[in-house]
Amino acid sequence: MAELDRRDFLKLVSVSAGGAAAAGCSDHVEKLIPYVVQPEEIIPGKAIQYASTCLECPAACGLHVRTREGRPIKLEGNPEHPVNRGALCALGQASIGRTYHPDRYAKPRLRGAGGAYEEIGWDKATALLAEKLGAAGGRVRALTGELGPTLGSLFDRFLAAAGSSGGRLHYEPFGYEALREASRAVFGAGVRPIFDLEGADFVIDFGADSLETWLSPVEHARQIESAREVTSAEGREARLIYVGPRLSMTAGNADEWLPAKPGSEGILALAIARVAFDAVRSAGRPVGGDPGLLEGILAGFDAESVASRSGVPAETILRIGRAIAQAKRPAALPPGVALTSRRATATTAAVLILDAVVGAIGTTVLLPAEAAAAPEPASFREILKLVDAMASGQVAVLMLGGVNPVHSLPPGAGFADALAKVDFVVSFASLPDETSERAHLILPDHTPLESWGDAAPQPGVRSLVQPSVRPLFDTQALGDSLLQVGRAMGDSVAAQLPAGSFRSLVEAAWSGTDFRAALIRGGVFEAAPRGGALPVAASAARIEFKLPQFEEAGPYLVLPVPSPLLHDGRGANLSWLQETPDPVTKVAWQSWAEISHETAKALGVERGDVVAVETGFGRLELPALPRGGIRDEVIAIAIGQGHTVGHYASHDAEGRAGEARGVNVIALLPPLTDESGGRAWLTARAKVTATGAHARIAQLQFTDNQRKRQLAESVSLAALAAGDGAAHGEAHGGEHGSHEIRRPYDPVNDAVPESPYRWGMAIDLDRCTGCSACVVACSIENNVPQVGEEWVLRGRQMPWIRIERYLGDGEADLENGRRRPEDREKLGDVDVRHSPMMCQHCGAAPCEPVCPVLATYHTPEGLNGMIYNRCIGTRYCSNNCPYKVRRFNFFDYQIESWPEPMRLMLNPDVTVRGQGVMEKCTYCVQRIETARQDAKNAGHPIADGAITPACVQTCPTHALQFGNLKDPQSGVNQRIEGNPKRAYHALHVLNTRPGSTYLAKVSRGAEPEEGGHS
Amino acid sequence: MFLACLLVALAGGAVGLAALLPDRADADETLVAASVCEAHELRARQAEDPSLQIQIPPEFDSPWPTRAACLSHAAAMDESTPGPIQPIQFSHKHHAGLYQIDCQYCHSGTDRSPVAGVPSVELCMGCHKQFPPTYDELEGIRTLKDHWKLQTPVEWVQIHRLPEYVQFQHQAHVRKGIACQSCHGKVEEMDKVYLVPDTKWWPWLLPTQKLEMGWCIQCHRANGASQDCVTCHY
Amino acid sequence: MTPPPAESVAAMIRPVPRAPDSKVNRDLLAVMEGASLGYWALLGLSVAFVGLAGGIWIYQVYKGLGIAGYIHPVFWGAYIVTFVFWVGIAHAGTLISAILFLFRAKWRNAINRSAEAMTVIAVLTAAQFLGIHVGRIWKSYFILPYPNQRGLWVNFKSPLLWDTFAITTYATTSIVFLYVGLIPDLAIARDRAVGWRKLLYSVLSLGWQGTSRQWKSHNRSVLHLSGLATPLVLSVHSVVSWDFAVSIVPGWHATIFAPYFVAGAIFSGFAMVLTMMIPVRRIYGLEGYITNYHFENMSRFILLTSIIVAYAYGAEYFMAWYSGVESEQTAFYRRAFGPYWISTWTMILCNGVFPQLLWFKKLRTNVPFLFVLSVLINIGMWFERYVIIITGLSSEYDPAAWGIYTPSWYELGIVAGSFAFFAHLFLIFLKIFPVVAIAEVKEIAIHERSHAHAGEH
Repeated sequence: MAELDRRDFLKLVSVSAGGAAAAGCSDHVEKLIPYVVQPEEIIPGKAIQYASTCLECPAACGLHVRTREGRPIKLEGNPEHPVNRGALCALGQASIGRTYHPDRYAKPRLRGAGGAYEEIGWDKATALLAEKLGAAGGRVRALTGELGPTLGSLFDRFLAAAGSSGGRLHYEPFGYEALREASRAVFGAGVRPIFDLEGADFVIDFGADSLETWLSPVEHARQIESAREVTSAEGREARLIYVGPRLSMTAGNADEWLPAKPGSEGILALAIARVAFDAVRSAGRPVGGDPGLLEGILAGFDAESVASRSGVPAETILRIGRAIAQAKRPAALPPGVALTSRRATATTAAVLILDAVVGAIGTTVLLPAEAAAAPEPASFREILKLVDAMASGQVAVLMLGGVNPVHSLPPGAGFADALAKVDFVVSFASLPDETSERAHLILPDHTPLESWGDAAPQPGVRSLVQPSVRPLFDTQALGDSLLQVGRAMGDSVAAQLPAGSFRSLVEAAWSGTDFRAALIRGGVFEAAPRGGALPVAASAARIEFKLPQFEEAGPYLVLPVPSPLLHDGRGANLSWLQETPDPVTKVAWQSWAEISHETAKALGVERGDVVAVETGFGRLELPALPRGGIRDEVIAIAIGQGHTVGHYASHDAEGRAGEARGVNVIALLPPLTDESGGRAWLTARAKVTATGAHARIAQLQFTDNQRKRQLAESVSLAALAAGDGAAHGEAHGGEHGSHEIRRPYDPVNDAVPESPYRWGMAIDLDRCTGCSACVVACSIENNVPQVGEEWVLRGRQMPWIRIERYLGDGEADLENGRRRPEDREKLGDVDVRHSPMMCQHCGAAPCEPVCPVLATYHTPEGLNGMIYNRCIGTRYCSNNCPYKVRRFNFFDYQIESWPEPMRLMLNPDVTVRGQGVMEKCTYCVQRIETARQDAKNAGHPIADGAITPACVQTCPTHALQFGNLKDPQSGVNQRIEGNPKRAYHALHVLNTRPGSTYLAKVSRGAEPEEGGHS
Repeated sequence: MFLACLLVALAGGAVGLAALLPDRADADETLVAASVCEAHELRARQAEDPSLQIQIPPEFDSPWPTRAACLSHAAAMDESTPGPIQPIQFSHKHHAGLYQIDCQYCHSGTDRSPVAGVPSVELCMGCHKQFPPTYDELEGIRTLKDHWKLQTPVEWVQIHRLPEYVQFQHQAHVRKGIACQSCHGKVEEMDKVYLVPDTKWWPWLLPTQKLEMGWCIQCHRANGASQDCVTCHY
Repeated sequence: MTPPPAESVAAMIRPVPRAPDSKVNRDLLAVMEGASLGYWALLGLSVAFVGLAGGIWIYQVYKGLGIAGYIHPVFWGAYIVTFVFWVGIAHAGTLISAILFLFRAKWRNAINRSAEAMTVIAVLTAAQFLGIHVGRIWKSYFILPYPNQRGLWVNFKSPLLWDTFAITTYATTSIVFLYVGLIPDLAIARDRAVGWRKLLYSVLSLGWQGTSRQWKSHNRSVLHLSGLATPLVLSVHSVVSWDFAVSIVPGWHATIFAPYFVAGAIFSGFAMVLTMMIPVRRIYGLEGYITNYHFENMSRFILLTSIIVAYAYGAEYFMAWYSGVESEQTAFYRRAFGPYWISTWTMILCNGVFPQLLWFKKLRTNVPFLFVLSVLINIGMWFERYVIIITGLSSEYDPAAWGIYTPSWYELGIVAGSFAFFAHLFLIFLKIFPVVAIAEVKEIAIHERSHAHAGEH
């Protein structure tokens, strides 16, 4: 803070005459406060990593928590963890913000008579809850999120001890209940199948959004993209096909997109299965079940009839059917949240039958034994039962942990009203949300970074959660709270509970293993029992495959889309996720309604016009965003916004407390289940009308037309095989192009030829899915401020890296450049190019010569250095940067966007930029310098791979690679040399000779071409 | 220059001690020591003029704390000498100078970390808990023990401070064998540490003060170290 | 400027005390006397606006440049636009004083003083915008190449640095030029003034006695200064134009920029002279000295430069089309038909089309028309800079990073303040210094008389 005073002082000096004389008085006393007892593993100034587990979603990726002086400053993936192999998604990256969130509950809270909360001590809180539980006479229920085996079982034991009748329900808004039910119906195995796409060569995704939120997105993204690695013959043959009504992020990464009628995925799968069935049989291979049985099931799903009902041409069905039958490791993925209709179980079953027919069961689709299976969330029906119980006053005490049903349950379910009928509601939330704000008593839990715990996301994976920071506030681990309360309830209860603290409980649970090793590795990882190839059971014949019905209120089908960033809304109170634009529409901080251009014309609305969406269950108003990549009858709205509580989730930060940010699409949906009691989302048609109002959409990219400027290139598989590629396109001037590619540090541009290093990056557009994890990782590593909706609307966002999304090569014709162009999406067109754009560290950088004070200059190692304290803010460098990657500190963001205690998570290795200076990507120079120092200490040159910038480190698909371009053996060079036909420089015509080399996306087409691997 | 400072420090110490002494009414009265430090002082004065009659009560007749310790302790809290008063009357001269404790014994990060690090209270107590109780007469020792009892850290006043946009690597300099003194001055001769002024005339006969950029650069030049901006600014 | 015959000089410079003062002196010095209520009102208004702008600026320094309308990627805005505008205005003065002097264009004498004053004031106004524009004004001294303990130097490759030198040089030269020209008139004023003015003029006139020796050196210095100033007329705005020309921004990096900007500068400079002098002449009844003949000559210049500027507009579009560079073409297409079409067409009409009316002598000599036209031209020239800078930046190479800029009210406040700043300095100048070069006017008169005399024989 003193620092800020100094800066303000200087400003005043600058505007006041004779200030220079006084400038000397501005220094202040800085304190050095050492440890009382210094833990020997801590060396001040050095980062330490603790292995832990990300608890943001049930996938449970492994973490390495980077800490400095006992404070976590960055989360990175645990390379040893089998789920994520070192990568993290955007949500996981941002989750560090929970610990330092300005909203955090500092102490237990009790709601007073007036409804206002007062902070109370833990003793009082514990005693109070104990008393209430004692008085409840067993009418105690609990609703929690995924807690992990140890805490989960402790909670159940606690409830049993407290005499609870109903016990605890594990509630996941995205429960995927249909998966288990379908596999029971099809194979008679009541377990949720596990999808292992390692090496899969034909993946058909029936709306699973497998790269975004479905089950284990980081894992699936890695598996799919590495299976399609184009340098390998199999990779060239591998295909990803997407079925769904909207050009989602996953669809944009597919090789083919079938915009089938929503709800028809099931019959489409059966039609494909039928074609495949015949092909497989004629090939004399097993068909995954009793042929007669299957024939019976598949009868009546011939391509022609299904074509008319699904809107997918018959020949396409036939082609895909034959292709998937030939595939060695095919996989069909059932629908995700957006497409779980009231026939979700049947639809999922149909997809599983397809899997069975093509022999995917046991290879890519695993059905482990019941015992080994991961814990399942309760079905939606059970949740609704609980709500009824609450409403009918059968629940005296309700315990809530890690869930926000008020936001994530449809209003029709009546949870809020039922909650009011519960005598005593206790919440263990550590951050306020709509539900916790309705509780009588709040016993704040530690955040995951402060807690002990464990997770068992899949068979063979036991992942450990260990604290990496002493609790910032007067909070208590949920487990300890339960133990305390239990003991306060008297010996009878205490006797049934384990002794000691929750930490000792975790150790006990891991007693079978080498606990120290587990702490270091992050858990215990063994080869999972994969389960055999179960045949299709006779019960499958009883499933009836029909198109789902919808609650009719109008012509437009409401498609509730899980947000790739906010997930089900749990990410909404993390500023990084709010400010990172949606990977598809590039909208930040807001809600929007995606409709087709046709629909927009029909409604007479344009981009930003506010439309009213009305179902029989709710009404919402939000700005329309017309686009080409969506079916006319569908209106898609992202799940996750619409919170009324939270510093970032709502408008609290702007001083408009209680005002919702965006809209909550769930408010439009009826509380309906599918055949087997799972939650149904795709349930309602809506009436959409223009309101006449207009809203500004905070869209960070206006056009997806790159005007043939070779920013995001692609090369067809055929061209690749034929031996000409992006780098050799006529525009690039043949050989010359490739020559430029290989040597961005040509002596003519290399300031210091004798320097052993020239840092550079390879960016593989064929692997980049656009998930934006790198954007969040970069912002957190480099203390990049988040400026908020108001300023994003005025183009003041600060990210050092952005994901540009282009469709095809674009059109250069001028009329297109005239006004803000419409998007170029078309149904079925999947030529989407996600291109990470950050400072290219040009060898001949246009920004360098124009800086009057040499604040930006070229380092001997090829970096484009940016010296903040030399910058006077003429902003000429940004004007002259063709990539537009430079950002300007228009305000003193140290004050504007780091509310307490968030400044505790600032990275001490990176200067926090003050007002009036430029900033940009530095290739994480602080990591380069650290690696250099370590290498020096060890007495050898910097090893390849010793430096991983934050974006490279977190990329789930390994699309980015960093290293020394002057070392021919370096990974980055190998990568570039290995893809000479795809390597190119963005905007190479400007001859900026960037250090970042792009590898063109490969457009594979629907089928493997002949000679694909010659 | 350093010597001058040193003399000032000693003089200051003497003044401080003089203050401790009872003012003498007339010559032939025996002076009674009221503390071990005072006993040391009286003995010293008696050595100067034997006529002086002194009396050392047995409880103060102990070699500990030593006279040097007493002087350094007094000097460390002398406001008339340069440098800020620290929360503890800690004398680098006594520890690093007289007892020749290696800098890195306490500032252990210097050769493996960007920051030197300030010793924890525990590290101080490592030695001081073995000291005879008479040492508690020194206020500094008592303060230290209180911190240890209450488990509260010592809030030292920072003396050598670089702006937040400068990234300094202690390990790089120490491992290259740059003496601590070349930036911090002859700390082993200071009872109270202060920023020893140092002016280099570089470049073009421009004066550059200690810890200013030019002051760093001239040394980097002289030793052929990197002068690339991002070496220190990022 | 040949020295006038000594006796005539004596006659005009040392009037016999009690003898009636020459009409010229009375007329021209009358301007400096007794301010009317309207004058004070005008002065007060402009000072108020300057104060307002100052307040905004201090707030901006404290809060941050964010209060301006900048939007990624448009990081230069109204401040730079106005900077270039005022530098342009500053050109007529030197041109009239230096070049026309060298070409012995007699008609300049009536207007050169006001033009020179305008130059100085405009440069001072422009210079402030460099400071207003930067993000950290409290560090802006970094841009000066002064030896420092850090051992850091400035980047002579950067056009912004060239700018700094160009502007300072131009300011110095034009101030000296103005002052040297003033000396004889100050002496006249001195001889008639009383009180503080007496003191002021005595000091400033450097003891001018009008001896032929003084005249000789005076004339020589004026001659040499003109020689020095002439290249500046071309250099200053060329350098300013290179701020844009040497960058790689589509619509900026054009070789035509230097002549294009210089012509534009002279164009706007003359327009501003008209805008200022027409009211002054009207109010102080100087019709006898600033005649329609002067205005007509200026109109001729305006017409000429307007044609050059219009040609430049055409050339830019031609080159965009002829180069076949898509990004260039897009930039220019958006200029004319994109979000900034209003600015573009304003500029084309005001600078390229309306001035063509000056082909008609009737209009060239129609003072009200000239006034309206000159105002329109000033508007047009401000928009020319707006169009070049903003449209260039708003749609560059990466379509994913295009943005639409609109100035914020704070910015416009400061821009308005700059006009007020210009106005109030000019008003003060009116009252303190002779707005028409008395000595030179007389000189002309004497010449004409002597020629007439010779004709009789």
